Amino acid sequence: MRKGPFVTDFDPGRRRFLGHLGLAGLGAIGAGSLLSACASSASGPSTGDASGAVTIQSNLSSPQAKTAIEKLVESFNKQGKGTASVNTIASETFRTQLPTYLTSANPPDLYTWYAGSVANDYASKGLLLDVSDVWQGLTEYPQSVKTLSTDASGKQVFVPMTNYWWGFFYRKSNFAKWGVQEPKTWTEFLALCETLKGKGVPPIGIGLGDTPWVASAWFDYLNIRVNGAPFHRELLAGKQRFDDPKVKAVFTRWREVLPYFDPKGKAYPFQEATTALLAGKTGMFLIGTFFADAAPKDALGDLDFFRFPIIDPAVPVAEEAPTDGFFASAKTRNATGTKDLLRYFASVEAQEEYVKSSSGIVLPVHPKAKAADSPLVAKGKAMLDSAAELTQFFNRDSTDALQPTADTALTKFIDKPDQIDAILREWQASAEKVFKG
Amino acid sequence: MTDVSTIAETPRTAKSTVAGTPRRRRRSARLSPLLAAFVLVPFAIESIWVFWPALQGFWFSLTRWDGQTPPEFIGVDNYVELAGDATFRGALVNTVIWLVLFGGLSVVGGFGMALLLQRDRRGVGFYRAALFTPVVFSLVVTALVWRVFYQPDGLADTILRAVGLEQLIRPWLADPQTALYAVILPALWRQIGYVMVLFLAGLKAIDPALHEAARMDGANAWQRLWYVVIPQLKGVNAVVLSVIVIDSLRSFDIVWSLTRGGPYHSSELLSTYMYSAAFQSLRLGYASAIAVVIFVLALAVILGYLVRAFREEA
Repeated sequence: MRKGPFVTDFDPGRRRFLGHLGLAGLGAIGAGSLLSACASSASGPSTGDASGAVTIQSNLSSPQAKTAIEKLVESFNKQGKGTASVNTIASETFRTQLPTYLTSANPPDLYTWYAGSVANDYASKGLLLDVSDVWQGLTEYPQSVKTLSTDASGKQVFVPMTNYWWGFFYRKSNFAKWGVQEPKTWTEFLALCETLKGKGVPPIGIGLGDTPWVASAWFDYLNIRVNGAPFHRELLAGKQRFDDPKVKAVFTRWREVLPYFDPKGKAYPFQEATTALLAGKTGMFLIGTFFADAAPKDALGDLDFFRFPIIDPAVPVAEEAPTDGFFASAKTRNATGTKDLLRYFASVEAQEEYVKSSSGIVLPVHPKAKAADSPLVAKGKAMLDSAAELTQFFNRDSTDALQPTADTALTKFIDKPDQIDAILREWQASAEKVFKG
Repeated sequence: MTDVSTIAETPRTAKSTVAGTPRRRRRSARLSPLLAAFVLVPFAIESIWVFWPALQGFWFSLTRWDGQTPPEFIGVDNYVELAGDATFRGALVNTVIWLVLFGGLSVVGGFGMALLLQRDRRGVGFYRAALFTPVVFSLVVTALVWRVFYQPDGLADTILRAVGLEQLIRPWLADPQTALYAVILPALWRQIGYVMVLFLAGLKAIDPALHEAARMDGANAWQRLWYVVIPQLKGVNAVVLSVIVIDSLRSFDIVWSLTRGGPYHSSELLSTYMYSAAFQSLRLGYASAIAVVIFVLALAVILGYLVRAFREEA
C-alpha cells in the first residue's frame, strides 16, 4: 500500500495535538471547579468613588416597573442632592447573583430586595449597611414595617417603598358571563371550581414552567389558613418539621383542588398563565399583583380579585403582603449619598410618583402616600388593613436558599400527589441541609 | 466549502512545525529563549486561570462554605453526603444517559452526514451550511427557539395533532418522563453539525488513491467504508471522542435554559446540580465536591483513551 507523505507526517503530530486537546479538555472541565473560585474573588461590577454616583442594582425588569424606577432616579438627580444610576438585571439572574454582588470587593451601593427574614439573613453576615439614622426620620411609618426592616441585632437594615398583595384574580366580564360569584369559604370555592369545570374552562390557572416558585403561594396560603401564620413562620425558620402531620393536612386540602388546575400550567411561566387568564382560557389565578405588569392596560379595568377562601374560621386571617424596598451594601464607598437616596425613596412624593408610573397595582408603604385611585387597589388595601397578621412569601419569610427545596417538593406533589409522605420526608431532609449550611 | 479545507489543513501544517522544530533544537542542547517563552508564558497564564482555581476547588470541596462567611474545614463530609444523596445519584445516571445518547447519536449522525455530504455535488454546500448553522447560534437562542417548539399548543403539538397522534401530546419539558430527552434533542441538533465538520475534514484527508486501489481489488462500498475509511479516520476519532466527552460533561446552558434541571430534578445533570447547589442553595463546598466528581469522571474517560492510544503507537 502506498503511503502518502502526509500520512507519515500525521502520526507524531497527532500525539501532540491529542495531548494538547486532552489538556484543553481538562481545562474546560476544571472550569467547573472554577466557579467556586469565581464567587470568592472580586468580580462584581465596579462602582464610583465616594463622590460619584450611587449605583442601584435593580431587579425591576418588567417594562413599567423599570420605567418607574428610572423616572424616580431622574427626579432624584434633578434635586441636586447627589447622582444615582440604575442597573436593571433580569429578576431570575438577580436572585441567583445577589450573594455574589454583595460579597464582591467593589459592590454596587444599593439593591432592590425584600424586607424580613431575607434581609436579616444577609445582615447577620455583616453584608448590609446600617441605615438606622435614615429610620430616625421615618417617624410616620407603622411599627410593623419597622420590625420587618430590623435585623436580629436590633438595627434597621432595610428601607421599604411598596408592598402588594396576593389573591385570586379573575376577569369580571368572564365571571359575569359564566354567572358565578366570588367565593368566601373553601366549600364555596370548591363549588365554583366544579361549576367552571362543567363549563369546560380549566378553573385554576398556574404557571410553573420556569417560574416554579409560584406554587409556593398555594403552600403559604393553605398553611396560614389551616395552621395559622405563627406555625407557618416557625416552619419556615426551621423550628417545625415539613414531615409534621400538620403540614400533611395542608396537602390534603390542596389535593381536593388539584383536579381543577390547568394541566398546561406545568409547562408555561406565570406570564403566559396571565395571558391565558386574560384570554378566558382559565377561570382564576392565585398570583401577586405584579402579574399585571405583563397585562395590557385595557385589560386592567376588567380585573378583580377575591381573598384566598377561609378554611377554618377559628384561625386568625393572615394575608401575604410582600414588602419591597432597598438595602445597601456594607461596603459602599458613598454611604452618605446612598442614605440620601434612601431617604428620598422613603418619602411621600417619591412613593406616589413610583406608584403612578408603575402599573399602579402596588401600595406605597408610607402611610400618608396615596395609592392609585382605583377600586381594585382600594380593595387590596382594605384586605391587607383588615388582616390580623401579615406574612410575605415563602422565600421572604425564610431564605432564598430554601426556595428551591419548596419548588422541588411542590411541583412533585402536583404531579404525584400519592407520594406525599415521601415528598415531605425529602423536603425535610433537603431543608435541614439548607439550615445547616 | 473552503472552511472545511482550512480546518483540515491548518493542524497539519501547525503540527509539522511543532514536531519539527524541537527535534532540531534538542541537538544543540540549549533551550532557545523564544521556545522557553512559548512554554512558560502559557504555563503561567494557565496556572493563574486554570490550575490554581482548580486546586482551590479541591480545597473548597473539603469545606462548608456559603460564599459569604469564611469556609470551614469539614474533611470528607461532603463526599459522604454525596454518596447518600438521591438527587446526586439521579444526576449521575442522567449524565451517563446524556453521554451515551448525546455522544453516541452525535457521532453516528455526524459521521452519516459527513459520508452523505463529502462528495462535491450540486447544492451540497447548502446542505453542509444548513447542518452547520445551529453550531453558530448561541445555545441560549437555540433554547428559546426550542422552547417555542415545545410549548403547549406549540409546533410539536400541532404537528402531532396534524398526523393524528394527539394522544402523545404532553408538556414535553414539564413531564419528568420526557424532560431529559426533550433537552437532548436540541443539544444533538447542534452537535451533529459540529461533529460532521470534524469528520468531513478527516474524510477529505484520506488519499483518493486508497479508494482507487481498494476498488481495483474488488472491494464493495461497505468493505471500503469498513476497511479503508474508518481505519484512516483513527486520528479524527480521537479528537471527536475527546470533544464529545468534554461537551457531554460540561453540557449546562441548554439544560439550564430549558428546564433548570426540573421538574423536580428529573433532567438534572451533574453540571446543573453543581450550579444549583452553588448558587441557589449557596452550598459552595458541596458544589465543589460535585465539580471534583465531574473532573474525575472526565479524566478517567479521557486518560483511558489516551493510555490506549499511546500503547498502540508505542
